Amino acid sequence: MQVETIRPAGGRSTHIRHDDLISAKGVSVVMGTDQNRQLILRDIDLSVPKGSFVSLIGPSGCGKSTLLKVLAGLVSPSSGSVSVAGVSPGEAARKRMIGLVFQDANLLPWKNAVDNASMLLGIADKSMSRAALRARGQEMLELVGLGDAAHKRPNELSGGMRQRVAIARALALDPAVLLMDEPFGALDAITRDSMGQSLLEIWQRTGKTIVLVTHSIDEAIQLSRQVHVLGINPGRITQSLDIPLPYPRDTSVTEVPEFVRLVLQLRTMLRSSHEPGDAT
Amino acid sequence: MSEQPLMNLSQPQPVSGWNAATSSWLPAVILLLVTIVLWEAAVRIFSISSFIVPAPSEIAKSLVAQWGTLMQATVVTAGEILFGFLVSVIVGIALALVIVRFDWLGRALYPLVVLFQNVPKVALAPIFILWFGYGLAPKIGLILVIAFFPVTLSMLAGMQSVDRSLLSLVNSVGASPTQILFRIRVPHSLPSLMAGTKIAATLSVIGAIVGEFAGASDGLGYVIQFASTQLDTPLVFAALLLVSVLGIAFYYAAEILERIVVPWAPKFSQA
Repeated sequence: MQVETIRPAGGRSTHIRHDDLISAKGVSVVMGTDQNRQLILRDIDLSVPKGSFVSLIGPSGCGKSTLLKVLAGLVSPSSGSVSVAGVSPGEAARKRMIGLVFQDANLLPWKNAVDNASMLLGIADKSMSRAALRARGQEMLELVGLGDAAHKRPNELSGGMRQRVAIARALALDPAVLLMDEPFGALDAITRDSMGQSLLEIWQRTGKTIVLVTHSIDEAIQLSRQVHVLGINPGRITQSLDIPLPYPRDTSVTEVPEFVRLVLQLRTMLRSSHEPGDAT
Repeated sequence: MSEQPLMNLSQPQPVSGWNAATSSWLPAVILLLVTIVLWEAAVRIFSISSFIVPAPSEIAKSLVAQWGTLMQATVVTAGEILFGFLVSVIVGIALALVIVRFDWLGRALYPLVVLFQNVPKVALAPIFILWFGYGLAPKIGLILVIAFFPVTLSMLAGMQSVDRSLLSLVNSVGASPTQILFRIRVPHSLPSLMAGTKIAATLSVIGAIVGEFAGASDGLGYVIQFASTQLDTPLVFAALLLVSVLGIAFYYAAEILERIVVPWAPKFSQA
């Protein structure tokens, strides 16, 4: 419960640990046509230790989702390098080391929960039998607390339950890392809280590495071990904040004075991140 | 299809079961009966000649008197519609699959399909008679060119409206184009395809009648044309009534098919 390291903007961390599952170095992303080129991300250095829970937070338009897509191999950086478990993100994804969860659960409406949970695994591994896929799907549904909803179709499930199925679908791949882009963004506050708690339980039970993109200060502090703050114009990591609160955490952690202090600190960091990076 | 949501609007609160069905159909039935009565009265009061506008009772008499001929013609036309409709749906689906799966072929085919859509296809009927004679073939051909397009277009729209993040999800685990097509795109397109199929069912009826107008020795279209040359207007109306019944029957058959194929789809027309 002591140190929190605040890294100044642009400052590169020189210590590269050996147990980093994800490491991005000098990643920049430029998008748009030749006439209208836009620098989305500038010079991102990020390392995520194995088994860690890291959040990316920042104002909308700061490129935090783009950064997650870079880590997932869905967007290739214009410069810089990214490695996930020692290989490129695209290769890591094909080796089923990356589990993705988006804000929209994107379930297949014609399949029930258990078939949705095993859908990606079935596409990735053509050799698995239907029964084996079902069993895996069921196992994952139980892990996310939906064991008895296996035969329900998405339109019979609530928003929170659909998102649980989406998490089960990502976990079914048995990935090394779970990349989540505002997974609880479309849910109401009460559902958000219980989803956060479930995510923490899943994290502690499975030991997966989790990178969470969020715009909720409370969520970032409640869940993660480290928070990276992104600034806007261009998107870059301005500051990082370690969250020294002990695990297991439950919702009562929000009442701890330390939590309140961290919220204030993160809020201050976010406010300063709104200022453009290039002094004009 | 569009009258049911309208009926819902006029319903102040949900009424359950039989009552709901009755109260949504009753106004339409009453209006229909009133129209028939007024029609009958107008024809009698103004003594309109039956070969210009026959009274409903005249039409009913003709329907009963010519029942055998009319039924035989109905069976012929129904056969043409069913066969033509099935061919249209199969060709329409195949075309959509080819356009989506083979990119270069799609880019070659799609503009031509859209261009062809602007040809007034009814005008093709005499050419089809010239090529295929007076039998079943020209009718099937005409139904096909009229009805395949909504099938192809609706299926394409359904296959191309798959959410991008879902695609990136399956792409990230290395899904093949064939897997994406048959596991994601095709099932995703089914609700849209079924909507197109219902339009094709209606267009198939038009195709069959136009085909029979252009040249036939049987069928309801032939009866309509023959009766009108004989100035037997009650028979024309009787045949028209049966054509409408066929149209409604095919439409509802397509709707039942929709409920079987896509029970999971959001319902647009719930009574």
